[in-house]
Amino acid sequence: MSLFLASPSPLPAPGAGLFTSPFLLSLLIWVPVIVAVTIAFMPNPRGRYDTLIKQIAFFTNLALLVLLFIAYNQFESFLPTVQYEEKISWLPAIGATYHLGVDGPGLVMMLLSGLIGVAAVLASLGVRERVRAYFTLLLLTQASINGAIAAHDMFVFMLFWAASIVPIALLVSGWGGPRRGLAASRLIGYWGIGTAFLAVGVFALYAAAGGQSFDMEVLLKAPLNSRVQLGISAVMILAAATRLPLFPLHGWVRDVLSEAPPGVTVIVAGAATRLGAYLLLRTMVQGAPAATHLLSPVLAALAALTVGYAGLAALRAVDVRHAGAYLAMVPGAITVLGIAAVSPLGIAGTVLSLFTGGLAAALIAGVCATLSERAQSRNVLVLSGLAPRMPNIAWLMLIAALALLGVPILSSYMSDVMTFFGAFKTQPIGAFAVAAGLAVSAVALAVLLRRVLFGAPLPDSPGASDASLAETWYLGLLAGALLWVGLFPGGPKIPGTEVPLFDPGLINQMAAGISDMAGPYVLPTPAAPQQ
Amino acid sequence: MLLIVPFATFVLALSSVRTRRSASATTMFGTFVTLALTLLIGWALTRKSTSYVATYQYINLSVAFAGPTNFQNFAIDLVIHVDHMVVAALVAIELCVLGAVGWHQVMGRSEPGAARFHAVITALLFASVGVLVSYDLAELFGFWAIGGALTFLLLAHRWGLDEPASRARVALALPFLTDLCLLCGIAWLYARYGTQNLNTLLPILHTNPGWTVRSLVVASVLLMLGIAGRLALWPFTFWITQTAVTAPPAASAIAQAVWSVLGIAVLYRVMPVIVASNQQTVQVFLIAIAVAAIAASVIALLGNEPRRSIALAGSTAVAIGAAVVVSGFRTQSSTFAIAGFAAVLAVAPARTAAWLAISSIASAMRTDDLGEMGDAWNRMRGSATGLAAATAVMALAATGALVYGVTSRSRLGIALGEAVVLMSVAALRVFLASSLGPLERRRAFEPDRVREVPQAAVTWPYWLTLAGAVFLVASLITGWLTFLDGAKHPSSPPLAFAIWVIAALVGIAVCAVAFITNKDAALGASARAGEWLRRGSTDGYGLVDRFLVAPITAITLRVGDWIPAGDSALGRFAGATGGLALSAMRLPAVPVLILVAVVLALVVALIGPGVIR
Repeated sequence: MSLFLASPSPLPAPGAGLFTSPFLLSLLIWVPVIVAVTIAFMPNPRGRYDTLIKQIAFFTNLALLVLLFIAYNQFESFLPTVQYEEKISWLPAIGATYHLGVDGPGLVMMLLSGLIGVAAVLASLGVRERVRAYFTLLLLTQASINGAIAAHDMFVFMLFWAASIVPIALLVSGWGGPRRGLAASRLIGYWGIGTAFLAVGVFALYAAAGGQSFDMEVLLKAPLNSRVQLGISAVMILAAATRLPLFPLHGWVRDVLSEAPPGVTVIVAGAATRLGAYLLLRTMVQGAPAATHLLSPVLAALAALTVGYAGLAALRAVDVRHAGAYLAMVPGAITVLGIAAVSPLGIAGTVLSLFTGGLAAALIAGVCATLSERAQSRNVLVLSGLAPRMPNIAWLMLIAALALLGVPILSSYMSDVMTFFGAFKTQPIGAFAVAAGLAVSAVALAVLLRRVLFGAPLPDSPGASDASLAETWYLGLLAGALLWVGLFPGGPKIPGTEVPLFDPGLINQMAAGISDMAGPYVLPTPAAPQQ
Repeated sequence: MLLIVPFATFVLALSSVRTRRSASATTMFGTFVTLALTLLIGWALTRKSTSYVATYQYINLSVAFAGPTNFQNFAIDLVIHVDHMVVAALVAIELCVLGAVGWHQVMGRSEPGAARFHAVITALLFASVGVLVSYDLAELFGFWAIGGALTFLLLAHRWGLDEPASRARVALALPFLTDLCLLCGIAWLYARYGTQNLNTLLPILHTNPGWTVRSLVVASVLLMLGIAGRLALWPFTFWITQTAVTAPPAASAIAQAVWSVLGIAVLYRVMPVIVASNQQTVQVFLIAIAVAAIAASVIALLGNEPRRSIALAGSTAVAIGAAVVVSGFRTQSSTFAIAGFAAVLAVAPARTAAWLAISSIASAMRTDDLGEMGDAWNRMRGSATGLAAATAVMALAATGALVYGVTSRSRLGIALGEAVVLMSVAALRVFLASSLGPLERRRAFEPDRVREVPQAAVTWPYWLTLAGAVFLVASLITGWLTFLDGAKHPSSPPLAFAIWVIAALVGIAVCAVAFITNKDAALGASARAGEWLRRGSTDGYGLVDRFLVAPITAITLRVGDWIPAGDSALGRFAGATGGLALSAMRLPAVPVLILVAVVLALVVALIGPGVIR
């Protein structure tokens, strides 16, 4: 039974300390860039080396995941400080530094990004056109996401945040479905505006903090008066809402997640969008706690509207990928509910749901994309009774549905429980509303499963085949990660001891720094107005 | 071991079993071993005054270093608490599973996906054990929700058919809604008390700083809704009635039996929280449950679907048990809340037996309309006798609970007595309609070809009825109630027994007279009333769909379309940028990368030190 136990004891995992690198985070960012540039310069006459390029991309991501796993294992969960820190002066004139580092939430996001990266490459193995360009852009996307997560300087964060738009938009517009142009333009439009809001917020924060440094240590700990906090927080909410997305700034999500190729859908739904919640966690909860308390009803309302809207829209969607895209909005809204709670447990739930929500969103969007490709149709009126013909996809879709609803054994249950337990303390109405929205989502999922998987097969529908090995692997990886953390939140232990076997436990590792983020149910006193 | 054995069986059934026979045998073996373990623990508990308790930490997360101490840590403990009540509930569940699986071995030969079906059943058994042994509410909800998901899989087992898939939707959506209420109730309690472990929560219900009656009322309402949904109390009966015909009979039988026992056990366990709110709340719950009991039995009389009638009659019996539990806890001096629990233990095997017996008859007569059934007494004597015995046990199952828990002259007693009479009619009419009168010839149906089902399928309902009868007799004995809750119970006068037995017998007699006098008229009246109910329901759903669902979803869709389309300036800007991006895609990758690198280098150089400053 000790295998199942979670323990906060600081016993290191076997092998901890064997590997250290002062440039660990830089490796995670720049290795994909270097590989991407290498691939871009590789001669590839008539697609002769397409397979090699795919292998390079896959093994690069796998190596990054191994690297991340080492970082995850060696992470000191009892230190509240930022770890794997790198700090190099970059633009001293404006106070921008190349400052990287991760705490608990950052580590969780990094792990998510690593898993999603491998899944995205596996999901992209079916790409046949312009393979070199595709994988170059995919690696650049991953690098930019890693950069945004690891950045501990707001200027660097902003650059990576903005940088992620370009490769994703190019991927959508180059390899997407029939409406790819529209999808890409909406992505650029919404994310571009979000980036503009982010820039306004960052520069306002920079100015309010004295205009000396963009370092998060300085900006997020600067004493700001409540008006400044409110203004900056409002702008940050807008920036995050375009990215996560939250209703009503979700205009891109349906088109992008339904038109993008499966690999891009996975990386957008799973990792790129989580940056929105990560931004709120960093800048609002950590940087503007007084404003967060004031704006928490707004955040809760946005979360409830988003869940309700997503459920209703998915209920009436006739395109299976549209339904998947809408449903992928649900985990993000639950994450925001945890932020709205501004309670220690709510924040812990938010951090965990960054990981679980990303996986669940990627799984539902990915499985819908793969299903529609395999069934040669996206119309739910045509797709029917597919479960006997594609059992692998049917099971994975079922797991995705259960993960969205937070069913136990899957890790989303824990994040949902923590978020709801935290939210009922401070935002009971918002929590009730989100729960009601989840019920609507359950109806939508029931309808979707009934139509697509369990209904009577249509004789005139196009031929359908089950997922290929690579597709099963990429979806299985996402489902397996959800299952693993759900079963072993504290990591497996050597039987009879408290020594972690090889996984120190996500729930233990993510705790670093969380207790400093949210006040213990007490409204923080804002600083006196600046003269 | 209680948890590990069903889980190991599940893993085995899922991973290494392919044929129908081996899947069924594996499930039977796993369930039998679990039953043997349960009986072993029960035997051990007879020699031990305290329960078996084991606690394992699942999550222990430090979330704050300041503020109230009970909110600084978040822990979910796997509290495994096995007492007499748990053992009795487990035995009832395991017997029902054994009976249903045994029946399915013979009658479910044509069901698809045998390995999946049996794997899900073993997993549901695992979840049931988990719910029953849990004293941490988060842990309890975890197992509860796993069981809920598995129940949906069971009820939606027939893949590739439109009707089962369509009807199974409600089996996911409606219970999920009430499960969310349960989760919200637990979350609400945690938010006020900082603990979800019942052992630590119950002592501080009225002492924790900041507790209010209002907060306890909210928690009580949410908990009650959550439990009522899975107990399938009216109006939450749709998830069992809608799937009555379309799910495999064994799946429906297991779902109803398992959830009735789990629901009543959890209700009993959280009753201290509900009672701690206020008397008015408890009174409202009692009224609601009494109404649910009567309404379910009345609706069971409308329409001629036999399995729907059995399901609703079972819901009535469970509602009576629930009412006795709530009533018992309301009266501080009363110690008979446990009698309601004991009654449900008797109902569970009996309703399973009735369900399986009528499914055998319906399968042989190839109809789900009581109006088209008949003559089972001559053609299928074994199944008909099993059905009669099972419905009789169902009708009498609540007797013990009513004797000990309710006075016949109180308003609650009168209401529940009425429910007993109606339930008896509803249950027995299924037997009478299927067994008496001629079996008419229909299109593509030759009555002479109706034969008794194989002996193995006939036997299981008998065993289950016997189990129900044993639990029923036990529920009348105070020693059994003492065994269950460890408290001393005074005995009741024989007149009380007589009154409640007579109530059931009155129902049986009324039904028998009506059907013997004029079966066709009785069934015709039911059919007409059922048709009105169906039309009323359809019109009601139509109104809800027209005035609530359709406008909301239409608004949602329009908002969804309007938001991307309405942002014209943004749209033009985005369109132009997208066009540029598309053009860029036509360019070769390497020169573009070099160009981007040069531009970035220029920008960085320009804003770097020495140029601007």
